[in-house]
Amino acid sequence: MSRTRRAIGASAVVALFALAGCGGASDGDDASDAPDTPPAETTTLTVWVMGDSGARLEEALAPFTDETGIEVDVQAIPWDNVNDRLTTAVASGEGPDVTQIGLSHLAAFLEAGVLEDLSGHLADHPNLDPANFPSAVADLNPDGGLFSVPWISDTRVLFYRSDILAEAGIDEPPATWEELREAARTLAARGDGQYGYYIPQWDAPLPVAYTWQTGTDVIADDGSIRLDTPGFREAVDHYLGFYEDGSVPTAGDFDQAAGFVSGTAPMLVSGPYLAAAIREQAPDLEGAWGVTTVPTNTTGTSLFAGSNLGVWTGTENLDAALQLLDFLTDPATQVAWYQATGELPAVTAAFDDPALADDPLVAVYAEQLQDSKPLPVSTAWDEANQALLQALNAIALTGADKEQTLAGLFATIEEINAR
Amino acid sequence: MTHDGGAGGSRLGGTAVLVGARDDAPMSDRSRRSARRRAPGSAPARGPGRRRASVVPYAFIAPALILLTMFGLLPILVAAGVSLTDLDIGGLGNPETIRFIGLANYERLFADPEFWQALRTTGFFVVVGVPVIIAVSLAIAVALNTSQSRFFRALRAFYFLPAITAIVAVALIWGYLYNSQFGLLNQLLAQVGLGPVGWLSDPTTARLSVALVAVWRATGLNTIIFLAALQSVPKEYHEAAALDGAGRWTTFWRVTFPLLRFALFFVTVTTLIGWLQFFDEPYVLTRGGPVGATTSMSLFIFQKGFSLNQFGYASAGSLVLFAIIAVVTAIQLRMRSTDD
Repeated sequence: MSRTRRAIGASAVVALFALAGCGGASDGDDASDAPDTPPAETTTLTVWVMGDSGARLEEALAPFTDETGIEVDVQAIPWDNVNDRLTTAVASGEGPDVTQIGLSHLAAFLEAGVLEDLSGHLADHPNLDPANFPSAVADLNPDGGLFSVPWISDTRVLFYRSDILAEAGIDEPPATWEELREAARTLAARGDGQYGYYIPQWDAPLPVAYTWQTGTDVIADDGSIRLDTPGFREAVDHYLGFYEDGSVPTAGDFDQAAGFVSGTAPMLVSGPYLAAAIREQAPDLEGAWGVTTVPTNTTGTSLFAGSNLGVWTGTENLDAALQLLDFLTDPATQVAWYQATGELPAVTAAFDDPALADDPLVAVYAEQLQDSKPLPVSTAWDEANQALLQALNAIALTGADKEQTLAGLFATIEEINAR
Repeated sequence: MTHDGGAGGSRLGGTAVLVGARDDAPMSDRSRRSARRRAPGSAPARGPGRRRASVVPYAFIAPALILLTMFGLLPILVAAGVSLTDLDIGGLGNPETIRFIGLANYERLFADPEFWQALRTTGFFVVVGVPVIIAVSLAIAVALNTSQSRFFRALRAFYFLPAITAIVAVALIWGYLYNSQFGLLNQLLAQVGLGPVGWLSDPTTARLSVALVAVWRATGLNTIIFLAALQSVPKEYHEAAALDGAGRWTTFWRVTFPLLRFALFFVTVTTLIGWLQFFDEPYVLTRGGPVGATTSMSLFIFQKGFSLNQFGYASAGSLVLFAIIAVVTAIQLRMRSTDD
């Protein structure tokens, strides 16, 4: 019965939209047919890695294979296809053994029930202990248990062009909301086509971080989504204020790296990947820009983002999978991964390594990570966040009536809560 | 009663299968008429040959019919079933949690402002896109048909090129052309003191920009169809028209154009369905933005189904879209059968 329903669901999903998914997950050779052979010699783990880190992960795992004899088959999945791959894997029941999980996808992975609860394995694999990671990760298992462990961390900090700020008579990067707004106004007054700040229209977490900075959460004590609060309204005014001042570009295709390098948007809030992009695109800009923690209101809370690792439920290679997780969350491996990719470690201890501790940018990231929070982990929130972003953009860009649009947004939130 | 093998019948039947929404009415009308025309003295064959004649056509259409059932009809039925449930990613993982919720998805859909906006956007694309594609591709076909020289044959390939170019490459290049910071179009406008235009960032302009790329992509194939139809117009007709003293303009509208009627019908039906299912260009160029201005019905369904994993809700949306396409196509088939 459940098989048939699952098959029906699968064919519906596959057929209905007629959009090519990427086929089922490859099964690798699980050696499951030979329980009497020593597993260490024949085990191959299938690992999903997102984005373009596939080749580098293969390199990083060479020592693991040497040490344990466990082969790893790395499958790189483009970020845009993650949801399709998850859906097909869930529908077909064929997933990898271990998967990277971008935090924005975590809710879907959890709801699909494809992740194994690892809380019973901490004694044998101490690297997975939540105590090794920043406290923010406590929110990543909203229903208890330990369904994934952090691997890469990421946060948002304020990037600023010190040269342009100095020219405009701003000696210190803005530290508060008011200072940010005023500096943005001053910088935008440099001329036509010049802006002071940049708000990415696709950045769903940004208005949430602003809400946190007023000391307000977007989740009520009873677990429902709650936006109709004074704190949220204050965040909305802050967000829209930049548009009212004409401090931010209204073009949706504004490229933040290009804007920062050319100086049209000399301040913006972004993640460590922007630092890498600036160094690559404009090495001669070194010394003319910096990063600092986000401007504060009541608090200076920023977004905690990044990727976790999880073990696919029902895997036949649970033991090998746990060994792999243990290896990847080892502080030494985390430092090596940072050196290879520039992606920040999730393990707190890794930040003490000289490779990170001596980098002034990393010092800022590490400080911001201390005061950062992940987005709520629920599929209902994902929908609410899209509605929230859509409403703010409608007010800012199409001149939709603010009160009416917010009332519509709150009604949508009520409807999502009720579902 | 429908398998009389009349030329008109099979032609229409072919169209019906092609567009995937078969309506019996025009075909039977037509069959009746051709049967009447043929009636005196030439009754359809009877006797042993009759039985075989009735099996053979089915054998021929069986592969298409089986494929159509498996990949056309069955998914629609499954989608109809799913649209009555709250199937989401959790339900996919644990089928026990799927609940039957009746028509709740449809109620939610018709109360969803996003759905109506997507419907209006799709309507806009259809109203703007269909006439433009037909006019442009017909004009290009007529122009290409004026000569058979090597240069014109090269031009023909040139116009077909967009149709065979990968959409991702297309999106990348057009994205660079349209970009508001460093795009070529705005640079050119700046040379003559105009702009800047928010090609993909102003909601109204973005719709037109996205539609332009789709027109550019679709023109090539339709031009080839029109060109083939133009080249099949017998020369004698043009000679006769010339003898009667008709000018080029009159010859085109009175002789050539009426003979293009079937090509025109085919291009209209396929183009209309194409625009109703409009997806690729807004997906790769704007992701449906800015502020949902380029979110077509298909993109809306995709977002609900594959970004938010609400398969039940998305199924309800696709069923509504399917009904719209079926009705629009049926109306077109009926209109054609009456004007014949």
